[in-house]
Amino acid sequence: MAVPTADKVQEIREVTRIERIGAHSHIRGLGLDDALEARNVSQGMVGQVDARRAAGVILEMIKEGKIAGRALLIAGHPGTGKTAIAMGMAQALGSDTPFTSIAGSEIFSLEMGKTEALTQAFRKSIGVRIKEETEIIEGEVVEIQIDRPATGTGAKVGKLTLKTTEMETIYDLGQKMIESLTKEKVQAGDIITIDKATGKITKLGRSFTRARDYDAMGAQTKFVQCPEGELQKRKEVVHTVTLHEIDVINSRTQGFLALFSGDTGEIKSEVREQINGKVAEWREEGKAEIVPGVLFIDEVHMLDIESFSFLNRALESDMAPILIMATNRGITRIRGTNYQSPHGIPIDLLDRLLIISTVPYEEKEIKLILKIRCEEEDVEMTDDAMTVLTRIGMETSLRYSIQLITTANLVARKRKATEVDVDDIKRVYSLFLDESRSTQFLKEYQQEFMFNELSQTDTGTMETS
Amino acid sequence: MMAYGSPHTSVRGHEGQGKVMELMYEMEMAAEDILTDKQQIIDLDRKRQKTREAIRVLSKDHKSDKHWVCVGNMFLKLPAARTKTVLNEDFNKLDGEINSLRTNLKQKVNKLRDLEMKEDIKGFNLTPLSKSDLQHIDNYF
Repeated sequence: MAVPTADKVQEIREVTRIERIGAHSHIRGLGLDDALEARNVSQGMVGQVDARRAAGVILEMIKEGKIAGRALLIAGHPGTGKTAIAMGMAQALGSDTPFTSIAGSEIFSLEMGKTEALTQAFRKSIGVRIKEETEIIEGEVVEIQIDRPATGTGAKVGKLTLKTTEMETIYDLGQKMIESLTKEKVQAGDIITIDKATGKITKLGRSFTRARDYDAMGAQTKFVQCPEGELQKRKEVVHTVTLHEIDVINSRTQGFLALFSGDTGEIKSEVREQINGKVAEWREEGKAEIVPGVLFIDEVHMLDIESFSFLNRALESDMAPILIMATNRGITRIRGTNYQSPHGIPIDLLDRLLIISTVPYEEKEIKLILKIRCEEEDVEMTDDAMTVLTRIGMETSLRYSIQLITTANLVARKRKATEVDVDDIKRVYSLFLDESRSTQFLKEYQQEFMFNELSQTDTGTMETS
Repeated sequence: MMAYGSPHTSVRGHEGQGKVMELMYEMEMAAEDILTDKQQIIDLDRKRQKTREAIRVLSKDHKSDKHWVCVGNMFLKLPAARTKTVLNEDFNKLDGEINSLRTNLKQKVNKLRDLEMKEDIKGFNLTPLSKSDLQHIDNYF
């Protein structure tokens, strides 16, 4: 799922990036207008008006920073847009707000304990905004003149002429600067940046006006335009890092590499406390801003009673992000106990939650959603085919009919057609079974399957509604 | 047949038009302000660089005890020490002016974004981190 989060960086290869079309990639936002009313079809969202409006109100509270430490539960039948609403909220918040998305079962791993996994997820959702400022001198080198003293033992002296489109000036060079320039092999025509504080020289490339100087140049030569404006610029960069990233960098010597390899392991609580102290100090001094983000836990019924107790406590902390949970279970057993509870969540946690419920879609809405998915997956369909697909969606499930879109497209392409027609849909319908037909098939042929233990009393145990 | 601004045009239509014009006017003013400031920074930096060059030349020249200084449209001959003081004062003044222009520029840009109904660019009003602070996260960048 292409969710914009501060995720681990994947292996970098020099291949053009293929945009993955995920199940929710057509969602651009919640589709609300200025009065927070949900438009029926907007930004990829269709129908589900009440849930979207509620989500919109929550979103406004998040933006104003007024909901830190609160939690939200989106509950409804499978295939009613729970994850879609969470995705819409993520897109609407923008890239500046940290949005972490995990599935309930992800916290169970051999590498780290459940509370550690949850703490990391929480801290990945809190951003810290900081600013770096430097004065730099950026310009095109017109001329470098370095004189070695005649006696052979004296210091070298030099002059560097730099220019931009607006001005030109000469700098006297000291010993160290001459060394740096020689090391970087700076020549006339190069565009360089000199950091005033550190004296570091960075080559940005060669000037376009010098492109014709030589007939053959190295493969690494980059051509850049002559810089504009003043020579001595003030460069300010604003970064938003998550608390988790700061934790990892500080938890061991080569800490920052762990961010890329994913092997973060358990982080000591002393390190975390130190970081909290430092960030609080920066807040006091006006050097940092806390950006509370959103942690989305899907399939939250997979968490067990210990994790829920942890969540209770974690939500009380003053630097807690907004927690959004989603589940499609009804009254289920809480994992780790023998008690039943709505959605498989203990009552004390349920008490702290704002609950949004999603309702199953109507036929018109399913048709619109399918149309949007067709556009997203670049599939042309005849109107008849669309009607058939909508019927299938109504009778089986929305997800199943979405799956049929690409498969039907492939079948259509095989017979050299550009549009998907009713026959293609019929074909894939017969090829791929949906959940109810599959269960039917199982019941009829249960004797033939290996390890079949389906007894007559054991039907319909899973509460999925 | 009806002229565009004729008195028969509905009053509400006129009001709406007026408001749009007002908004556009304000936006253009704000943008113009920002561009003027940017140009001024460039001009001041040019002066600053030239002053710096002059200071460098003077500090290397130990022979002459009086220098020619051009002030406005007059040429004056000033003693070396005095010239250096004047130039340094100029340099510092220019530095200060450029810095204050840059700080104000940030507020002006946010004001323009406000008029354009865009969100403020966040974070630029923060105090920058010092070198020791950066050690805590420097490796990451």
